[in-house]
Amino acid sequence: MKRRTLLTGAAATLAATPLARPHAQKPVTIRWWYHFDDPKATPDELVAAFEKENPGIRIEPENIPWGGGGDYDNRLYTSIIANNAPDAAMVKFNNLARLMEMDALAPLDKWIDAWPGKRDITDDLWRLHTAPDGKRYYMPLQYVVLYLYVRLDLLAKQNLKVPTNFDEFLTAAKALTGGEQWGFGMRGGSGGHDSWMPFAFGTGAKPVKGGFVSPAALAQNRFFIDLHRVHKVTPPSAPTDAFLQIVNNLKAGRVAMTVHHISTANTMVETFGDAITAVPVPRGPNGSGFATFGDGSTCVFSASRNPEAAWKWISWLSTGPNNVLYNKAAGQMTVTTSGAANWTLHPKRFVDATVQSLPIAGVLPNLPQTADFTRVVWPQNTQKALLGQIQPDDMMQAFEKLFFG
Amino acid sequence: MLAPALAAAAILVLLPVIDTLWLSLHDVILYRPRVRPFIGLGNYTRALADPVFWESLTNSLVWVICAVSLQFTLGFATALLLNRNFAWRGIARALVVVPWALPSVIIGLIWTWMLDFNLGVLNNIGVLLGILPHSVPWLAQSSTAMAGVILAVVWQGFPFFAVTLLAGLQAIPGELYEAASIDGAGAWGKFRHITLPGLAGVIATALLLRMIWVANSLDLILVMTGGGPGTATQTLPLHAFLTAWSGGNYGQGSALAVLLTLLLLGVVVSYVWRNRAE
Amino acid sequence: MTRLKRLLGTELPVVLILAFALLPWIWMMLSSVRPDAELTHSPIALWPHQLTLIHHIELLQRTSFAQNLRDSLIVACGAVTLGLTLALPAAYAFSRFRFRGRNWLRTQFLVINMFPVVMLILPLFVLMRDFGLLDTYFALIAGHATFTLPFAIWLLTSYVDGIPQELDQAAMIDGATRVQAMLLVVLPLAMPGVVAVGIYLFITSWNEYLFALMMTGRNVRTVTVALQLFIGENQIQWGLLMAGGTLVALPATILFLFAQRRLVGGLTGGAVKG
Repeated sequence: MKRRTLLTGAAATLAATPLARPHAQKPVTIRWWYHFDDPKATPDELVAAFEKENPGIRIEPENIPWGGGGDYDNRLYTSIIANNAPDAAMVKFNNLARLMEMDALAPLDKWIDAWPGKRDITDDLWRLHTAPDGKRYYMPLQYVVLYLYVRLDLLAKQNLKVPTNFDEFLTAAKALTGGEQWGFGMRGGSGGHDSWMPFAFGTGAKPVKGGFVSPAALAQNRFFIDLHRVHKVTPPSAPTDAFLQIVNNLKAGRVAMTVHHISTANTMVETFGDAITAVPVPRGPNGSGFATFGDGSTCVFSASRNPEAAWKWISWLSTGPNNVLYNKAAGQMTVTTSGAANWTLHPKRFVDATVQSLPIAGVLPNLPQTADFTRVVWPQNTQKALLGQIQPDDMMQAFEKLFFG
Repeated sequence: MLAPALAAAAILVLLPVIDTLWLSLHDVILYRPRVRPFIGLGNYTRALADPVFWESLTNSLVWVICAVSLQFTLGFATALLLNRNFAWRGIARALVVVPWALPSVIIGLIWTWMLDFNLGVLNNIGVLLGILPHSVPWLAQSSTAMAGVILAVVWQGFPFFAVTLLAGLQAIPGELYEAASIDGAGAWGKFRHITLPGLAGVIATALLLRMIWVANSLDLILVMTGGGPGTATQTLPLHAFLTAWSGGNYGQGSALAVLLTLLLLGVVVSYVWRNRAE
Repeated sequence: MTRLKRLLGTELPVVLILAFALLPWIWMMLSSVRPDAELTHSPIALWPHQLTLIHHIELLQRTSFAQNLRDSLIVACGAVTLGLTLALPAAYAFSRFRFRGRNWLRTQFLVINMFPVVMLILPLFVLMRDFGLLDTYFALIAGHATFTLPFAIWLLTSYVDGIPQELDQAAMIDGATRVQAMLLVVLPLAMPGVVAVGIYLFITSWNEYLFALMMTGRNVRTVTVALQLFIGENQIQWGLLMAGGTLVALPATILFLFAQRRLVGGLTGGAVKG
């Protein structure tokens, strides 16, 4: 017994000597959860490079099915509640408030402030990555800002220019509708809140307390619902159209405009070449606008036994060239300024539309209800409004009630 | 002989069920794991007061009744046909299980795609044959969405009936039919007096099991419509699932699950009663 | 005449049913050999203009699908073995013995199964973690077998009920033990039922997703979870999904092709008289 104490003491002393560390310390294992949209892409290359630079740390990546967000979240919550959470994981804003309430997250501020890569990430991104309590728990990893895809050739046929405000948007959508073609590919199904927010908050309302029922938001939401109900510039299947349908419709030329983001830019260019472009979403008359920010972040869980090593890994992933490599695998946009400067993964006009949208980028309130809003409350109420079962204003009242009581 | 089965069921199913039952009496919020006040039947009264519960219950009834009766009718017909003698019977028997052998997520996607407004092959064929004047957004209208998901679940589930009833048909001794033929019974008479009584036990069991399974299944609906449009295809288990996991209200979700179990229990008890009466 | 009657009365309806059963699957198969561009063209062409095996090749070479198929096969076979081992004696007991609480106990087996599985995942996860079984074949096999157990017992009981009691009694008079009577007399006669239940166990395990998602991860990954990986947040790997969907139906179908002979048989006239 005594001997063991002595030995442990000796080992501790050895470990404390910086030179001896690599030999005396067993490598720590960091469990990291991620999801890539392309199952053929793997993070193996990144992991190998990191482990080479950091011989004391072993990364155990695990690809978790996304399942519309639900599967990933359910798996995450289950493992946190059962004390089986990974050390670090990819996470999204709609879970931030819940994870904070569970005390599941390790604050990153002290590490971020000492991190040399901090200045390579813009202030806009850090602003969006700050939690309601003023601390930072999420590390920027990838991002998208929703923009408007526009078929230039179809617009040119009607002698129209690219719409920049809501009036022009409606005029264009009407002109581009006819026969088996519709002006706007509306997403009423799963995930549609992302492309609805630019409409609801575009004329100056904000998704904050009272913001869902402000006159501006109500009017803009009626405008959105009327695109389908009154003007019929959207396909009849719009109430349940989700990602697959809006992208297919745009690719097949059945819709002329839709709201999505840079992750689909390359397939659009493959189909249409120069005939397709992207611009920031339409704005209100006073120039105000709202572009939905879609994040992919990483976090370190408070239950991790090696938070320092976990931080090393996630900060490594957000560093210049590593982040570029990572986003090539993930098909998204790098968060680093240095990486964006020489970005070649997507054509420049789509990168520009993304970067130009960043100043008006916003997110939903960071509240525990947000996950429920995106998965259930938004689709249910919006679909009812699109089908005429409830009034557009009822839908906004329901949202305000969900978030702010 | 029962002991191993009992022990396995007790550990892996009964314990979690009791745990969930216990949770349903507490205010359990998924993201507040440390605070769980006891609230008695509060979750139940709140669940019953919610109009969505009653909508989901109605949807569940339509879903179970239509899905099970159609699966059964088609499956029974298939079993009877595959029990006859013809040259390629073996292959036909094997091929009929294909729908059943696919994961729900694939089934959901393929049917969503076939029913798609723009790319749906069914719309395409319907228009070509002149049955439909134009494409129909089947899953985006409250009036047709339920029919769409039921079609998919019938496709998925009828092979179950075909296989179980076919096995049951084999247990009916051939002599009974021969004897009936000698007595001059027709095809309908044989079916009515030999096949049906001989199969009654298996039919009742298969119906009961399938009903429980269909009543509890939510994966197809989740993939195809997510319960929408609006709440047109939201069934009780989906409501419980979304309340517990997406809404984070685990206590209330558990209460909904218990309510669903109680409803099914009613059906089972009447079945067992019927059995005892025999 | 009889030939025509069989053609119209039996073979034609079978063809129609098979068409209903297979056309969606064939449609999927056709989609899996088409280039992506054809799939978004509206109205969609019924027959591919151009054939490609790129999706199948990518599926097997660049994803771990082959390994996932193996994992699924191990789990499903394990679930069949474990499920039948547990269910057969139980079904025999329910069918042959009249003991107090028999009906009650049988009903209990169903009651616990009426509980929606989605609500059991959390407690089960904790249970599996306590046993140290997370991410093992056994966790999934045990999980699948238990969830299907009540169904298996009920189905088997109704098949065993159809076998006359006199047969095992006669065997026992001839000196066989209970277990011998069950294995040597009842089991062969109940074979169609056993096969049907075995298929039920196999397919249920083969298709199960939620349990596999929650209880396994790096070491064990079944096809259902692997297929779900093709449906991303901003991308759906449609070609891979369709290729995977085509392949995933094959093992169960091939298995059934061999097993279906066993569905024939059962009681013979001689056995009843003996």
